[in-house]
Amino acid sequence: MSILRRSIGLMAPLALLALGACGDAETDSVQVGYRGTGMEQNYDHGDLKKQFAQIKIPTPVPPAGESPPGPLPWQNVQVLNDISVAEFNRTMVAMSTWVAGTGNCAYCHNVANFAADTLPTGKPIYTKVVARRMLQMTRQINGQYSQHVKNVGVTCYTCHLGKPLPNGLWFYSSQTDYLRHYLDRDGARVISRQVAPTNVNRSSVKQTEWTYALMISQSKSLGVNCTYCHNSRAFSSWQQAPPARVTAYHGILMIRDVNQNYLAPLQPVYPAVRLGVQGDAPKAQCVTCHNGNYKPLYGAQMTKDYPALWGRADWNGVPFKGLTPTVDTTRAEPAVVPVPAVKRSSLAPVPTPSAVGGAAGSLNAPK
Amino acid sequence: MLEYQNLFTRVQVRTLPEAGIEIDESTGTRFGTGTFSYLAGKFGDAQVGPIYLGWAGVLSLIFGFMAFEIIGFNMWASVGWDPVEFVRQLPWLALEPPPPQFGLRVPPLAQGGWYLMAGFFLTLSILLWWVRVYRRARALNMGTHLPWAFASAIFLYTTFFFQPLFVGSWSEMVPFGLFPHLDWTAAFSIRYGNLYYNPFHALSIAFLYGSAVLFAMHAATILAVARLGGEREIEQITDRGTAAERSMLFWRWTMGFNATMESIHRWAWWFAVLTTFTGGIGILLTGTVVDNWYLWGVKHGLVAPYPANNALTEEQQQLLRGRYQGTAPDTFPSYVAPQPAMMLDTTALMAPADSVTADSTRVDSTTARKTP
Repeated sequence: MSILRRSIGLMAPLALLALGACGDAETDSVQVGYRGTGMEQNYDHGDLKKQFAQIKIPTPVPPAGESPPGPLPWQNVQVLNDISVAEFNRTMVAMSTWVAGTGNCAYCHNVANFAADTLPTGKPIYTKVVARRMLQMTRQINGQYSQHVKNVGVTCYTCHLGKPLPNGLWFYSSQTDYLRHYLDRDGARVISRQVAPTNVNRSSVKQTEWTYALMISQSKSLGVNCTYCHNSRAFSSWQQAPPARVTAYHGILMIRDVNQNYLAPLQPVYPAVRLGVQGDAPKAQCVTCHNGNYKPLYGAQMTKDYPALWGRADWNGVPFKGLTPTVDTTRAEPAVVPVPAVKRSSLAPVPTPSAVGGAAGSLNAPK
Repeated sequence: MLEYQNLFTRVQVRTLPEAGIEIDESTGTRFGTGTFSYLAGKFGDAQVGPIYLGWAGVLSLIFGFMAFEIIGFNMWASVGWDPVEFVRQLPWLALEPPPPQFGLRVPPLAQGGWYLMAGFFLTLSILLWWVRVYRRARALNMGTHLPWAFASAIFLYTTFFFQPLFVGSWSEMVPFGLFPHLDWTAAFSIRYGNLYYNPFHALSIAFLYGSAVLFAMHAATILAVARLGGEREIEQITDRGTAAERSMLFWRWTMGFNATMESIHRWAWWFAVLTTFTGGIGILLTGTVVDNWYLWGVKHGLVAPYPANNALTEEQQQLLRGRYQGTAPDTFPSYVAPQPAMMLDTTALMAPADSVTADSTRVDSTTARKTP
């Protein structure tokens, strides 16, 4: 009897240990669709913990105080000319840590003449020209693609994470055919809308592989499985798809706009070292912002603190307190509306910039 | 040492190799006189050889070698003739069929020409091997069950040529490569709206799994009655001994019905042959008769009409979130509250029309629930 009792006494902690190992499962499967259909998301605790630990949100720069009255004191400001002096300064400070990672103004500016687009030697500062275009892009994303960025929005930090080069930049090559193809083509859809074959859908199996590659790249970029956006029994069906697919769809429209109208046209600005083997500019994909998280920075609210990046008339109900931009003293331009981003449908054609940089009359000029 | 022995675990005899029967040697002859291998004896017969190749075998090996070399050298060329990269990336390397723009025309060598050539030689090699199998079966006065079973597999193989021919593009053919041919399989299924709903695909899978089950049942039964003489299966067909009686009794007890010592081999043969035969039919119908198997399944009532959108209440939804219960849906990737996938706001135009609603055979949750 005592032996039995002793052995139970020994076994009990062991059994508890064993059960404990089972109880705290490494992975959670969360049902996201109708029962018994395999519509579920798997969350790996280890991965989630690691990813959370990696997210570092910069402390917001203190809110802007009162600005001195009068016209904006600077010259050659082409994008941020609708915000107060104090707001302008704090946005610049924030950008220097978000992108340059050092708080170093000289990364983008000629410190002897902040308005200049060139160094004292006369060499153009490509980082400044790129940064200007990126500010326009950020406003475009926040203003025109609210269906994708919702009320979280993006800042420079979303992609740059304190580094000059964001993750996941890609160039044309045989390995990125699926990304290039996708940017050139109207849609990724390869599946027919009717039972019998017709000449409407002539998609090949190879196109399907490109679509497949694109989808897997999205899945990896967001750290989610297929069922996050699709009912895998009918990948093409919108009706059966989780609502997240609509968000992703707008993201695809957004990234196409970003690549075609903002990143690729910067090609002549970059030094050769920044270009791909085919001489093309670096381009973005889903992972550039998402970095493996279903929401970039797990949805941390950063944009709300920086009205200069909103591109919207208000952010979560807080109105944009813009200035009527005084005409840039370096050029003669007609007066423009205070808020650049009156929400419009993305269906409207996005103006394609013919030139980049500070050329007068270019589309970089404030709208 | 004591050792359990029967005809399956037999003592390896070393004597003069068995030469086999006299054959007509006008079209080929046997090479070698045969030798013995201890290891081969562990897996099968210890005698290795002599081997008969004949003209069909020799040509088959030559063409097979040519296909193998074309594929291998193209793969090697694709990594810039780097031997290390060739080995490292081998599972991902491929000889791809021509790109879609060539349709059924003959492309340049580097753009699928090599692929067509490799495919031609490989097919020739396989067909010649079939000839060899057929001729050897006849030479031994056997039935032709083996060549016809092989022909069923070849039929499936040739559908990967005929289906692209019917849909008008060589680009639809299967790439040569380890993972690439698996990727093709996934892409083929996605392109044609989920092969899962292709009934011939379903039949093929049923026969494939059935073959495995039959193989296991038969092999286990014979091994189990080997101690009673069961390995002499064929004698037991005509002269039923204890082994046959007991093995059949076993299955009658277990499932009320038994195959016989003879019929079990017909079961196995037909299951194996029908696996590839039905599979081939499924391939031939895809893209030629049916372009979207899911919608075909909807049309013919194969698709379970469950509610497309999750109808659970917010509370039920929370319960499903496990350890994420109570956390805001924004803080974890989670189910988003049900809403029609088609948005009603002004951006609705931006979402493509749903494939199902565009189809006359739609099954949507609202109508499905209304119909009893």
